[in-house]
Amino acid sequence: MKNDTADLKDETYLQVRNVTKKFGTFTALKDISLDVIEGEFVCFLGPSGCGKTTLLRAIAGLDIQTLGSVYQGGKEISNLPASERDFGIVFQSYALFPNLSVNENVGYGLVNIRTSKSDIKDRVTELLSLVGLEDQGDKFPAQLSGGQQQRVALARALAMSPGLLLLDEPLSALDAKVRVHLRHEMKELQRRLGVTTIMVTHDQEEALTMADRIVVMNDGVIEQVGTPEEIYGHPASPFVAEFVGTMNFLKATKGDNENINLGAHTLSLDDEEKAKLNGADVLACVRPEDIVVRGVDANTENSFDATVLDLEFLGSFCRATLTYGDGDVNLNADFSINLVRDKGIEVGGTVRIALPANSIHIFSAG
Amino acid sequence: MTDQTMSSASPAIVKPKLSRDDWVMRAFILVIGLWLVVTLVMPLYVMLSKSVQNKDGFFIGLSNYIEYFSTPALFYSINNSFFIAFLSTAISISLASVFAFILSRSTIPGKSVFKNIALLPLLAPSLLPGISFVYLFGRQGVLKGLIGDYSIYGPIGIVMGEVFYTFPHALMILIAAFSIADARLYEAASTLRTNRIRTFFTVTLPGIKYGLISAIFVVFTLVITDFGIPKVIGGQYNVLATDIYKQVIGQQNFEMGAVVSVVLLIPAILAFAVDRFVQRKQVAMLTARAVPYEPKPHAIFNRFFFLYCCIISVMIIGTIGMAGYASFVTFWPYNLELSLNNYDFDVMDGGGWGSFYNSLEMAAYTAVIGTSVIFTGAYMVEKAKGFGIVRGIIQFLCMIPMAVPGMVLGLAYIFFFNHPDNPLGFIYGTMPILVIVTIAHFYTVSHLTSMTALKQMDPEFETVSASLKVPFFRTFLKVTVPVCLPAILDISIYLFVNAMTTVSAVIFLYSSDTALASIAALNMDDAGDVAPAAAMCMVIVATSASVRVVHALLSKGISAKTQKWRTR
Ligand SMILES: Nc1ncnc2c1ncn2[C@@H]1O[C@H](COP(=O)(O)OP(=O)(O)O)[C@@H](O)[C@H]1O
Ligand SMILES: [Mg+2]
Repeated sequence: MKNDTADLKDETYLQVRNVTKKFGTFTALKDISLDVIEGEFVCFLGPSGCGKTTLLRAIAGLDIQTLGSVYQGGKEISNLPASERDFGIVFQSYALFPNLSVNENVGYGLVNIRTSKSDIKDRVTELLSLVGLEDQGDKFPAQLSGGQQQRVALARALAMSPGLLLLDEPLSALDAKVRVHLRHEMKELQRRLGVTTIMVTHDQEEALTMADRIVVMNDGVIEQVGTPEEIYGHPASPFVAEFVGTMNFLKATKGDNENINLGAHTLSLDDEEKAKLNGADVLACVRPEDIVVRGVDANTENSFDATVLDLEFLGSFCRATLTYGDGDVNLNADFSINLVRDKGIEVGGTVRIALPANSIHIFSAG
Repeated sequence: MTDQTMSSASPAIVKPKLSRDDWVMRAFILVIGLWLVVTLVMPLYVMLSKSVQNKDGFFIGLSNYIEYFSTPALFYSINNSFFIAFLSTAISISLASVFAFILSRSTIPGKSVFKNIALLPLLAPSLLPGISFVYLFGRQGVLKGLIGDYSIYGPIGIVMGEVFYTFPHALMILIAAFSIADARLYEAASTLRTNRIRTFFTVTLPGIKYGLISAIFVVFTLVITDFGIPKVIGGQYNVLATDIYKQVIGQQNFEMGAVVSVVLLIPAILAFAVDRFVQRKQVAMLTARAVPYEPKPHAIFNRFFFLYCCIISVMIIGTIGMAGYASFVTFWPYNLELSLNNYDFDVMDGGGWGSFYNSLEMAAYTAVIGTSVIFTGAYMVEKAKGFGIVRGIIQFLCMIPMAVPGMVLGLAYIFFFNHPDNPLGFIYGTMPILVIVTIAHFYTVSHLTSMTALKQMDPEFETVSASLKVPFFRTFLKVTVPVCLPAILDISIYLFVNAMTTVSAVIFLYSSDTALASIAALNMDDAGDVAPAAAMCMVIVATSASVRVVHALLSKGISAKTQKWRTR
């Protein structure tokens, strides 16, 4: 029978199948499988050391996987060296050639394939204007700011019009303001060119704002693949729930009628979550910003009184530390400044809160 | 059915396909490996086996060694060598430690002048101090009164010469050690009102510990393997290095020469191993350190420090100056009129001015070919992917020359290249063999310098090139070489100067067509033409110095040119 990995769906550009990477006895990637669709922007997100770079380097052919296969554009590239694959790459260090001008850096690969000097010059000019550095071509990398260097590296990676753009933490060497600015620029550029892009990052905000789909990794395995909304709104595991955004993890027990009991309170669930109730002990997870106060009264579903232990001012909102029941369980809630003022929420006071059924995620405990 | 068992069995390990770059790099690595095997491993192997053979080439076990150790005249040299090495090391390290301490921890004026003076001995062949001391303290020496009834010909002269010769080597290591000490510790010490002497013993000394140990072993190795000084001023006092020479040149007893070589090889290898071990620790220390130390002025100490540096500088300049002066004196000590008679090398035995031109040629070839081979080799070994075992072996081979005394290498070359069955025998007695042995002799330091420079390059340059489909050698030529140019120049100047001054490795290998300046000096001295020998040494010093100056100017020019891309 024909191997099922060979028949590609039309839109799938890159297929990773059962990739395992070992460094000696240490297994950095464990049986990873993943599809990347043509033209999409995918982020590998995960804590440092989880194997993001290793996976990216396997896809690039820089450190070829121990087991498994990789297909790009319908062609198997599993064992090809980097020089026989089709990709452009930007590293965290940018790896710009320090002794070559910006023009020479960007045109570095073109010299090999283009015949005429004017062709190269035109292409370099085009690339530099693409990244907004039209007038910087004669400078050397050291004469540019970090953000400009990053864009030169991007222009160089795009010079050969690669089918796949690989970015390894391309923004993490920059300061916060530049980073936020460049996020939008890069995303915009990627959309305009339509180049299939994989970016490695450990910064969830970066992944949430830039990616079409996020691949959350932990300890050499993929925890979840999904759009930013899916990842944030429907985390598939406690790890994802905790790593992306903030999350309250509350110990609960399975009640009657597919409810759960949170201490003395009974909470109802969405149908989707009810299906996950297997076993007596569960974890009920709710994000601090999903906790509702406005319009909550004694009759509101899933509502109960909580005591305010602490209020931390965080600029645009306040993070409240709440407790309920016998007082040994804490719960974080984010309240707008407005709300705090209107409801007179203060430390030591009591407030009635609701955990809406559609904001509760259930994971099995343990 | 079979298919199913296949697919359910453990999946196949991916075998990476090698790129063209990988093949080219591996080919280069094999060539470099082959070079090291032919110019280093095989000669040494043949030499080791000679030590257990008789004259007819039959294996005779340890008989040669037994003969060696039952001949007092021979094995006494072990004592002598160790005595000289211990004493010279102790003196050289003590003097250099204080000098290095002053240069890095005080605020006396003229530090860079003192440093440059202290490094002058590097430019001279090691026989220069020997010759100079003959003029200063010899039978008709100007300062003969200073050493009373003692003779300069013997251990006193050797030790003095070795101290002169090893001082700059010790100094450079110790300055490096002082310069990485942590200012924070000093601040802590001074806020605790620790006095300076206590600070020295509790903070300074532990801080330079590894540098100090390293300097001790380097100097020890240099002394025990040196040939020029004991040859010129040793008189009847035999050491291992001169024994090899006597056995081989004097008595044509090659097997015994090989035995002495092995005896000399052992302490050299031990010292080298300790040094490598210690250097690794020093590197670990370096990365953990941060704040550099800013010395504070101290008037009284400074006066002593300044005086000390002046005395050392006067001794160094005096030693070189004496040889220089003597080289111009018409007929010492009877006709003190100055003339260029002693520079008329063509009327003397030893090779004449032709030997100087040979030296220039040899040094130039060594610098150009040596730098190319060593730097390219280091690049391939550092940047190639996979091929780990071969790369590891080559890294190890690159370290061997440091532990092999020049005399031993030279003798090993006779055995290997002069063997009638060796197809490479045709280079014996030619310029190429001198170039090859000199490259091999000074391989380690050049290799380490290359590695340091290469490790500072972004490891992703090659990756980026591969992704842009640019072959690695274009990146090597367009990026690696230009960025590493300062290190490359350092290597070539190091090879050039050492090729100009070396005696030990080439002494067995030159022919009448390829006599070298340093050997001419040695031979003229041997023949009693001491003043012309001094003159030849001065020509070498002048050449090395000029090349150094050119190098300094060149480096300055390059750094001005690269200023653009190095800094913003
Ligand atoms: N060349 C290597 N040799 C041994 N271990 C490695 C190597 N490269 C990466 N690792 C290990 O693999 C794991 C994943 O590394 P990496 O992919 O770089 O993580 P990250 O997600 O931070 O990019 C880490 O534990 C790292 O120590
Ligand atoms: Mg990484």
